[in-house]
Amino acid sequence: MTLFHFFNCAILTFGPHAVYYSATPLSEYDTLGTSVKAALVYLGTALVKLVCLATFLKVSENDSFDPYQELLHALIGFIDVAGLYFALTQLTHRNISQNHKFQAVGLGWAFADSVLHRLAPLWVGSRGLEFTWDYILQGLEANANLVFSISLAALGSLMWLRKNKPKTLIPIIYACAGILATMPSIMSYLRRGLGWHFPKVVGFELFTSLMMAFISLQLFSACQRPSS
Amino acid sequence: MSSKNPRERQMLESIYSMIALVFILVTCVDLCDAATVVDVYRLIQYDISGVPFGSRFATLNHHAGSLHFAPGADLSRTVLVIPVRELNITFVKEYISQRKPLGGLLFLLPQMFNFGNREAATEGKYQVREKELMNTVLAELERLLIHANIPYPVYFAFEDDDIDAVLADVKRSDVSGQPATATTGGYKLVVSAPEPKKIVSPSITNIQGWLPGLKADGDPNQLPTIAIVASYDTFGTAPALSVGSDSNGSGVVALLELARLFSLLYSNPKTRGRYNLLFGLTSGGPYNYNGTHKWLRSFDQRQRESIDYAICLNSIGSWDNELWIHVSKPPENAFIKQIFEGFSTVAEELGFEVGLKHKKINISNPRVAWEHEQFSKLRVTAATLSELSAAPELLESTGGLSDSRHFINETAIVRSIKLVAESIARHIYGRQGKNIQIFADNTSLAVNSPYIRSWVDLLSKTPRVAPFLSKNDPFVTALKKELEDHTREVNVHHEVLDGMFTLYDSTKAKLNIYQVASVTFDLLLLLVLGSYLITLFTFLVITTRGLDDLISLFRRPPSRKVKTA
Repeated sequence: MTLFHFFNCAILTFGPHAVYYSATPLSEYDTLGTSVKAALVYLGTALVKLVCLATFLKVSENDSFDPYQELLHALIGFIDVAGLYFALTQLTHRNISQNHKFQAVGLGWAFADSVLHRLAPLWVGSRGLEFTWDYILQGLEANANLVFSISLAALGSLMWLRKNKPKTLIPIIYACAGILATMPSIMSYLRRGLGWHFPKVVGFELFTSLMMAFISLQLFSACQRPSS
Repeated sequence: MSSKNPRERQMLESIYSMIALVFILVTCVDLCDAATVVDVYRLIQYDISGVPFGSRFATLNHHAGSLHFAPGADLSRTVLVIPVRELNITFVKEYISQRKPLGGLLFLLPQMFNFGNREAATEGKYQVREKELMNTVLAELERLLIHANIPYPVYFAFEDDDIDAVLADVKRSDVSGQPATATTGGYKLVVSAPEPKKIVSPSITNIQGWLPGLKADGDPNQLPTIAIVASYDTFGTAPALSVGSDSNGSGVVALLELARLFSLLYSNPKTRGRYNLLFGLTSGGPYNYNGTHKWLRSFDQRQRESIDYAICLNSIGSWDNELWIHVSKPPENAFIKQIFEGFSTVAEELGFEVGLKHKKINISNPRVAWEHEQFSKLRVTAATLSELSAAPELLESTGGLSDSRHFINETAIVRSIKLVAESIARHIYGRQGKNIQIFADNTSLAVNSPYIRSWVDLLSKTPRVAPFLSKNDPFVTALKKELEDHTREVNVHHEVLDGMFTLYDSTKAKLNIYQVASVTFDLLLLLVLGSYLITLFTFLVITTRGLDDLISLFRRPPSRKVKTA
C-alpha cells in the first residue's frame, strides 16, 4: 500500500507539468525541445549555485534566521534569474511565438526543479510504512513552484524580449520580477524567522503564486495591446 | 553514420546501466524510518524433554490493539499491548489456557525494573505497597507464562513517553469502536527477528577456589574441608532481563565476601585454621542443579570424603528476622545437630532466628529442589541456608522479572554473611558455644558493606541465563578473577548442560512502531488527485484553446468517406 502512496504523491508532484504541456497549445507546436533545453539550463544554474553556496556560506548550528546569511542566499538566488535570462534569450529556439516560448521555458524550468529537489526524497521516504503528510505538502509546493516559474518566465520575457513596453508599467514589471526572484528567501524567512509550520507555508505559497500569476497575466496582456 | 551507431549504442547502454545502478542503490536504503523504535525482550522459549514451553515465535508484523477492544472482535491479527500496571491476570490466563488466536502480546513494565536506565532504577518514587503489589502481579504472570505453550510472540518492553503516547492513541480508537486493521489505519508493530534456533550444547561453567589450611609437619592425613557453594545463574520469563538479584545474586555476593574474609584470616600462618576451605560458584542451578552434580562427580572419592560439610547459599537477600537451614539427613543426626546448634547460637547473638527444615530426598526422582541434595546423593553432609521456608518448584524462584535490585535488603546479606562466617570460624577454631566475635564490626575483619553493595549492583545489571553465557563470557571471567584474588588455587570447569532442557535463542529485538494510513485514505487521495488533474486540464484547455477545442477532443474524427466523393 505504501507504493500506492508514492504513486499518489508522484502524480501530485509531476502530473501538473504533464497536464500543462498537453492541455495548452504547447503540445500542438511541439515545444518539447525548448522545455528540455530549459531543464538543462536549470541543471547548470543549480550546479553553479551549489558551488557558490559551498564557497561563501557558513553552516549554522541552529535553525535560526541569520539576516546576513539570508542576504547572501538571496544574492546567490539571483543566479537563478541569470539562468532564466540565458534560457530565454541566448538559446536558439525554433520559430515559436513569444507567448509559447516563455511558457515552454517556465515549464521546463519548473519540471527540472521538481525532479531535482523532490524526486529523491519522495522515492526514499514515501515508500516506507510510516505515514506523514510531508510528501503531499511537497507536491502542493511543486504545484505552486510551477506557477511561480511560469510567472517569472513571463515577466522575464517581458523584460528582455519585448522592446516596446508602456513606460508606466516598466517599474511594476521589475518590481514583480524582483518579488518572484526573492521568493525562496521569503519562504525561508517565514519558516525559520517566524517559525511557521510546513502546511501554513505551503498555503501561503499557493496563495501568492496564484496572485502573482494573475498580476503577471494582466501585465502581459497589457503589454500585448499596443503591438496588436 | 554507421561508425556513430555502435558508439551511440554503447553510450546508451552505459547510461542505462548507470540508471539501473542508481535505482538499485536507492532501493537498498534502509526503510526503517519508524516513528518509534523500542527495545523489546522476548519471552523465553524452551523444551523440557521435547515438550515445548514459552513463546514459539519471534517475528511480529501486526496492528496494535489495547484491552478496550470490542467483545467478540477477531484478534488473530492484532498485538495486544498491556501495561503490567493495569494487568487483569484472569483475562490473560483465559486467553492462554483456552488457546485463543492472537497476533501477539506486548507487556509494558514500569521503568523501575529497567536496570539499564540509571535514573529510573534508583528513583524511589514508588511506595513500598505499590512495589509489593507489582511484585505479586509479576510473579503470577511469570508463573503463567513460563509453564504455557504460546503459539505467538510475546515481548516485554519498558514504559516510556513514546510508547505511552502510542498506547493512549490506540485505546482512544478502540474505545470509539474502530479496531485497527488493514482498512482503517492505526499503528503497526513490526519486529523483524531471525527464526529462533535451538542452542546446541549449551555450556555451563563451574568455578572453584581452594583456601588450603595449615598442615602440621609430619601429619600424613589430609586436612578436612569445609565447602561454601552458591549457584550464580538464573532463569526467568525474559532471559535478557533475568538478573536474579536475590536468587541467587545474594548468594554469590555472600560467597565472595566470605572468601575475602577467610583469605584475610588465612593469610597469616598463625591464624590459619586446620581446615581447607573450598568455595564453589556453580552454574545450572535452575535445571535441577545440574552443574553442581557434574562438579561433584569431577572430584575423586578421597576428596569427597574429606569434605566435613558443605553450606549452600540460596536467596539470602530479602529476609527480616528468620532464616532457614534445609537438610536432607534427619535432624537427629549428630553432624546435623552440631551444625544447627552452631548456627542457632550465633543467630541468637546477632538477634534473629534460624529454623531447621528437613526434606527427604528420593534418589529416583530427577527433581532436585535444593543444592545440598546433590551433595547428599553422594553422601556428603550438606545444608542450604535460605530465606525461603519451602522448597521451590521447578523453575520457580530462579531470578525472574520481579527479582530486581529494589527488593534486596543489604543488611540482610550482611547479617547472613556474619552468621555463616562466625559459625564456620567457631567450628574451625574449636570455639563453639563461646561468646567470641571473630568478625566484629570496626575491626580489620569486619564485613565490608561497600564491597557487597558494588557486587549486588553489578549482579543486578547482568542477566545470567546459563545457555546464553559463552565460555569466555566477561562476567564469568570477572568471577574467576575475583576468586583468584582471595583464594590460592582457582579451577574453571566447562560442562555441557544435560539434554533434558533445551533453550532457544533470539532474546532481544527492536520493535518498530509505524503509524499507517488506511487503504481507503489512499483511494480517496487518488480520487481527489485524479479530479484535480482533470479540472486543471479542462481549465487550461478552455483558457488557452477555447471551449470548442475541449469538445472536439471528445468528438470522433470526421469520416473519410466525404473526401472520396
